[in-house]
Parts: sequence; C-alpha cells; structure tokens
Amino acid sequence: MGFDEDLLRELIDAGVAVGASYVEVRYQNDHGISVSMRNGRLIGVGSVREEGVGVRVLINGSLGFAATNDLSRDGLMNALEKAVSRARATASLRRNAITFAEERVGRASYEVVPKSRLEDIHVEDLTSLGKEAYGELLKTVSQVKLPVCVFSAETHMQEKLIMTSEGAYVRSRIPRIYVSLNLVLLHQQRGTLQRMKEFASSGGGELLKEWKPVDVVSEEVKNLEVVLLKGVEPPKDPVDVVVGSEIIGLLVHESAGHPMEADRILGREAAQAGESYVKPEMIGKYRIGNELATVIEDPTIPGSNGFYLYDDEGVPARPRYLYKEGIINEALHNRHTASIFGVKSNAAARAMNYASEPIIRMSNTYLKPGNMSFEELIDDIGLGVFIKSYMEWNIDDIRWNQRYVGLEAYLIRNGELAEPVRNPVLEITTQGFYSNIVAVDKELKFYPGTCGKGEPSQGVPVWFGGPDVRISKIRLGVIA
Amino acid sequence: MTGTIELGREVVNKLRASYDDVAVLIKTRDRVMVKLWNTEPSVTQSWITTEVSLLLTKSKRVLILEFSVGRPEEILKAVEKISSVVERVEESELYAPLPEPQEVKLVEGSFDAKVIDAMRDPGKLTRLMIDAALSEGAERVAGTLTLSNDERVLVTSKGFENSERRTLVEAYLRAFKKEFSGQWAHGSTHVNEKEIEEVGRKAGLYASITSNKADLQPGKYDVVLSPLVVGNLMNYVSFMSSALAVLMGYSMFMKFRPGDKIASEKLTLVDTPRDPTLPNVASFDDEGVPTYDKPIIEDGVFHNLLHNSGTATKLGVKSTGNAGWVMPNPWNLRMKPGELREEELVSELRNGVIITNNWYTRLQNYVEGTFSTVARDAALLVKNGEVVGNVGRVRIATSFPQLLNNIEEMTRQTYDIMWWEVRTPTRAPYVLARNVNLTKPYI
Repeated sequence: MGFDEDLLRELIDAGVAVGASYVEVRYQNDHGISVSMRNGRLIGVGSVREEGVGVRVLINGSLGFAATNDLSRDGLMNALEKAVSRARATASLRRNAITFAEERVGRASYEVVPKSRLEDIHVEDLTSLGKEAYGELLKTVSQVKLPVCVFSAETHMQEKLIMTSEGAYVRSRIPRIYVSLNLVLLHQQRGTLQRMKEFASSGGGELLKEWKPVDVVSEEVKNLEVVLLKGVEPPKDPVDVVVGSEIIGLLVHESAGHPMEADRILGREAAQAGESYVKPEMIGKYRIGNELATVIEDPTIPGSNGFYLYDDEGVPARPRYLYKEGIINEALHNRHTASIFGVKSNAAARAMNYASEPIIRMSNTYLKPGNMSFEELIDDIGLGVFIKSYMEWNIDDIRWNQRYVGLEAYLIRNGELAEPVRNPVLEITTQGFYSNIVAVDKELKFYPGTCGKGEPSQGVPVWFGGPDVRISKIRLGVIA
Repeated sequence: MTGTIELGREVVNKLRASYDDVAVLIKTRDRVMVKLWNTEPSVTQSWITTEVSLLLTKSKRVLILEFSVGRPEEILKAVEKISSVVERVEESELYAPLPEPQEVKLVEGSFDAKVIDAMRDPGKLTRLMIDAALSEGAERVAGTLTLSNDERVLVTSKGFENSERRTLVEAYLRAFKKEFSGQWAHGSTHVNEKEIEEVGRKAGLYASITSNKADLQPGKYDVVLSPLVVGNLMNYVSFMSSALAVLMGYSMFMKFRPGDKIASEKLTLVDTPRDPTLPNVASFDDEGVPTYDKPIIEDGVFHNLLHNSGTATKLGVKSTGNAGWVMPNPWNLRMKPGELREEELVSELRNGVIITNNWYTRLQNYVEGTFSTVARDAALLVKNGEVVGNVGRVRIATSFPQLLNNIEEMTRQTYDIMWWEVRTPTRAPYVLARNVNLTKPYI
C-alpha cells in the first residue's frame, strides 16, 4: 500500500488548525478482477480500482465528511476545506452538538495472509470454474431445462490506512473472493424455479477449491428439480417448522443485527433503511425471545466475509452478544452513538470504500447453536415442514414483520423428511420467531451477504449463520 | 470541461494501437448531501471525484476497467498490468463493435446555476422542507438534500467525442408524529423551492393525516399506490426490461415478446432520457449512440427491451441508446398520467388501502415476476371514500403481471420521484389497482 502518510498527517494537522476537535483520514484502495458468464460463455472481464481518501471532521459539534480521489496535496486540502465549510454551513440547523465517546484507539497493522494470493488468480481460473459449473449442471438436470446459468466471480483486495487526530493508526489488508450463480430451471407444465447461490469469504485462491462450488450447486439443483416437478403446497394448519440455517442466518441478520444498530435505534437511518422496534430503555431488560435466542455478532472470526480487527474509527473489535438468552443485550455502536448511550464503542464503524462515511454495520452475525443433531431436531415431528433455502425475503423498517419464501423445502412426516414443498411462506414477527424456538441443532453454518445501508447506500461484506431451528405451530402461507 | 475531454483523448490515443475498440467514459462530480435525523443534520457529506471507465476490445474479447482515479498515468499503468488478459480470454458472447459516431443533439437546459449557488449553503433549502413538514404538524423529521454538479465525457476510438453537464437536486423527507409517519421525495436537475417545500408538506401531511390505528386482515384489497410506491415498482419493471436482464434470467420479459399485452391498457411506461428536468438526462449513451424517448410498455402492450450494441446484436435488433457497456439501463422513467384528481381516485377506491410508501421489494422468481414489498409510513384504510385509520406495515404480495393487469385508474398529476428506494428517477401518478393481495404475520 503505497501512500504518503506524511500527507495524511498534514491533513489532520490542517483540520485541527481550522478548529476541528476531531479529524479522521482514511486512505482506502479497493481493487480486483471479475468475470461474468452466461451458460458457460464469457460475457465480459472487468477490473475495478477505487482509490482515494475520506476525511471526517467534527467541528463545533457538526460532523462533516468529504471524499476525493484527487490524491495530490491540493486535492486533499480541497476535500478537507469542503468537509469543514459545508459542515459549518449547516450548523444553523443543529440542535444538539455531536460528540464522540472517549476510546483507547489502536495503533496496529494487520493482514489476512491467504494460502494462495489474489494476485495469482488468473481470469482463466475463474472462467474455467464457470464452464465446469455449467457443464456439470447440464448433466445434473434430467426432466427440466436449464435455460439460464449465470456465473460471476470476483476478487477483492481491500487496503485501508486510518489515522486520527487522537492518535489512531490502523493499517489493514484483507483479500476476499466472491462467487455467485443465478439459475433458472424450466418445465413446460410446472413453470420455473429460480435460485441464486453465493460463496464469499476473506482469503485467497484456496477458497475456490475449499468451497467445492460445483458439487454444492449440482447437489442443490438435483433437489430443486424434484421440488419443481413434485412440490406440493404446505399444510394449511399450523405445524412445527424447521427453519434451515441459511434462512436462520438471514433472519438473525435482519431481525437481531439491524434492530440492534444503535444509529437506527436513535433514528439516524430513519428516512432510508428505517428505525428499530428497539428503544434505548429496552436494552438489558426487554425479553424478545426464550432462552434459546442468543445472537452473536463477531467481526473477529478468521476467514469470515465480515472480518476485521479494528473498525474504521480505530477501535479494537470484539464479539458482541446482541440478544442473550432471549434478552435484548448489547447494541452495535460507533463512537458517536456510544457517547449518547453513555457506553464505549464496540467497534461497529465500517465504510464500504474511500467515498463512504464510516457507519454502524454488522460483520458476522449468528444464532448460537445447540447440541442435538438434525435427526434429533425433527425426530418427534408428526407433520411439519423443513425450509432449507429461500429466494424472496423482506422485513419492515422497524425490523418486526418479516417474510421468507422457501425454495428447497420438504414435508416432515413422522420424524423424517418426505415429499418436497413448493414456495412455503414464513411470515412472522421478530418476537413471534424468537419466542417460539423449540430447539436448535449443532450444525452452525455461515452464508455470505452484502449488507446495504447508509446514504449513499453502502454494501459491505458480511456473513450470517446459525444452526437449523425448530419453531412450534406456525401457520405457513403460499404465494397467492 | 476541455480538460476532461483531453484526458479521455489522451487515454484513447495511447491505447488505440493495441485494441480494436477503445472507449473512455469519465464522470466528474462535486456533490454535497445534508443528511437529517431528529430534525437536525447528522452529517454533511461531500464528494469531489473523478471516475474513469475504459472499454477495450480485441478480436471480440471484451475488457472493462473502472477506475476511481483521476490521473491518466495511473490509468495507463493499470491497463498495462491487465492488458495481457485480453489475449488469453475467449470471445464475449455479447461482443459488438463500437458504433460509428452519429450526430448528437445535446439536450439543453439540464444545468441550473442555482444549484451551484445552493451548494455553498445547502442549509437554506434543507430548512425549507423541514419547516414545511413541521408546519403540517410533524414532530420530527429525517431525510436528505443532495445537490450535485456533474460532468460526463465520452471519447471513443471511432471518433466520438462529447460531454454534457447536469445539475442534480434530490430531496426526500420522512416526517414523524407519535407512532405515525409520512414520506415524500423529489428529484430534478433544477432548484425549485416550491417543490422542495412540497416534499416537507406532503411528508408532514401523511404523518398527521390520521391518529387512528386500523386493523387489516390478510386478503385481496383494492389499493391506491402513491407515486413513491409506483416509482419503486416501475424501477423493477424497467430493470427487467433491460435486454441483459432477460438474457441473465432476471426478467419476467423472458416470457413475453414485443406486442404481447402484459398490463392494463392504462399503463404506459416510457424511458425518458431527453427530458432536461429529470435527473438522469442524457443526450448520448455510453457508446455514443444518441438517446431517444421510447415506451417500454405502451397502452398495456410490451413494446421495447432496452439495448446496447452488444445485446442488440445478439438479439438481432438495433441499439435503443441505453448503453451501459455490459448492462443496458433505463435513464429516467415517465408514466402516462390518467384523468382523475387525487380525491377522485380515492372516491373511485371507495373501500381499500392507500399505500403511500414502500421498501424492500424482493422477488421469489424474476421469470414469473413474483414479489413482495413492505408498506411503510402512511398505509391508510379507506371506507366509503374516507380515511379511517392507518393499517401499519402490511405487505403487498403478488406478481408484476398480476399487478400491472389490475391497474384501473391514475391521477392526472404526476410527481418527479427520486429517493433511496427509487434510484431511476420516475415521473409517476397515483395509481388505483384492484384486487391486490395484502399480507401480514399471524404471530
């Protein structure tokens, strides 16, 4: 990472000199290559490089942010001037001064060292994987057609250098790989079924082998063909539902992670991604679920998609227990919200790229697993439904009312998986879900996502996961 | 700005000998955004950036490079690093040579010097919409005001060279009163104080329109969808009308052919690049093809997919001036208005739900167009033509073909909507649709 640190120091000094009580400069360089393919044939090859500096100032209680990719001294000073002058220009609208909590910020340098460097991944490595996937999937389907198989893959190196007027100095280098497939299965009489599947982690070229993406997707397609051909409607009466780890991961991200973002709780995202059913006074007291409802947020999981050791304000990362045995426990904080809540930041500030302000984000969110096997989880279910994967989902803007539409799903009869179910709809409130957990198995699995939040919208890499979870007596819907 | 064109020319000249086609697209931006929470700024953000994109083709191989760096030497260095890739990869399924330059008539009137003035003190316009919301009875507001001065330059090895500037005003506000809220939005290339005040006024109005909660059981209802909701849903329809979305399995138009009736005859949806007041105004696309207005759906009949040269060649048609080098995109959207006033539309609704805002639209299956989306802010139960309460965060769960066919009426007044959930600016009326499935959780 070749950038003139002295220039960043000069920028900090200049900000302080014009009256800023806090100056934070972040050099960030995101770069990588990508391929996109359709039905085994190449559409295009891409290369992206986003390199610039974001500077944030706190001046007379107003927060200003400016980003530039003009990395000359004049360019950087111009950005600083805009951050300061425009923050001052809106000061007349301010009612309360913005303050940051006192923190012990880090001075550190860290790097994810993959077994196989991103630089050694060639476009041909990615395209050959795309061809192999399409070839195998064509062999997998028998009675249905596969009119569309879109394969995308990209490498992403994220390099950051964060320096603040309070002495933070954090240098990091995190490589990631992302692979996705979009598949359409078609049967003349039974219609279509669509599946998007993603793989993403921090690491290097070794992931392309470790994931076994062709095997994993082929297995899924084999099952989805049966769902398309033979899927039945889910039972109309309430039944026990086993929600697969893929949906559990998304569900905890949406209904535990997002509502526990302190900026949402305070209304900072009110006009965009919304607020939260959680109010400040509920933290540490309110019961949202039973004792099986423990949701953990942990940026420090090695190899994870949301991995980091220091956040973008230079605060050291640690695991956070969002819900603990059913009680709303700890919100995700940056230094600003920590100051309002009278607590310490727990290092949730992340920025997508140099042009993004650091805001409160999740990293890797999961439901705590239990001890039993999947077989034990379903053993005493007379009639139920296992929903393994999904396509459609959404949740309301206070993170209460949510919907997941199953893709691969099965009836459970007398403790065993039976015939496939098509498009079962799980529509449930946050409290309804966490209060109705009967049991969780021990199979903790993680799934990748790109979480969107902020204005302009920032997509950051995350993992979400959990075990398979059984919930009692749920009335499932169907697509109308 | 001549400097930017020269940068593009320099890059093209240095690379043209090594490639069959070279195109350089440069976007420069000076932008400010005031973000509000609890009726005050949370942050004032600025961007001073230059983004350079490069299209390189050789023997039908296609390489696209995107740089958020401003110096030509950096770009050329990066190209050198990756150039050997072009030799090694296979031909692109969507290759087409860059088009020969055609005469481009630049759209006039897309730059407003008042925007540049307002950028020096964005607080003034922000205060207009805050005050308007508070005067309607709102207790607190959140939202953003964005002002931008943008330039777009395209230089190609075929000899196309052009640039255009536009300004941008994007304003949206969410107003709260106790447990209720309302939201409105506006996007334009011009500063219009009245429109910005209207954003605050309508947000405040919807926050205050009722203090009653109403119950709603899942089922089929007649609904009025506000221009914010219509804008969001039409963004999805127009995304699916991109020829690449069709080829990649992200479109209900996989099942339809131009000429098929796919919607109520009341629905006409037009891609509108050449209206100087709509934010994504463009005189030429990213391949230098002159833009033109075109219906995607006209009187309920599917009319056009949106194409660049690559998708057009693949499907044996002509480009529609919607490049995107890989993905053809709509520029701005315009719907043909109806004939009713807003109160007449509510009278037509008689009994049903007015959904004034939505978010989180997701599809179960793009080919079938099945989706759901969640209401937010005012979702108003109407009985005998009167608003009787707010039903809260219910969900529309249907399919686009069903919904589009169930459109019955529209208002004559349209609004220019742009906000977090409507990224392709859309000029939309209020829409009345019959028999729409609304859901909510049982527990």
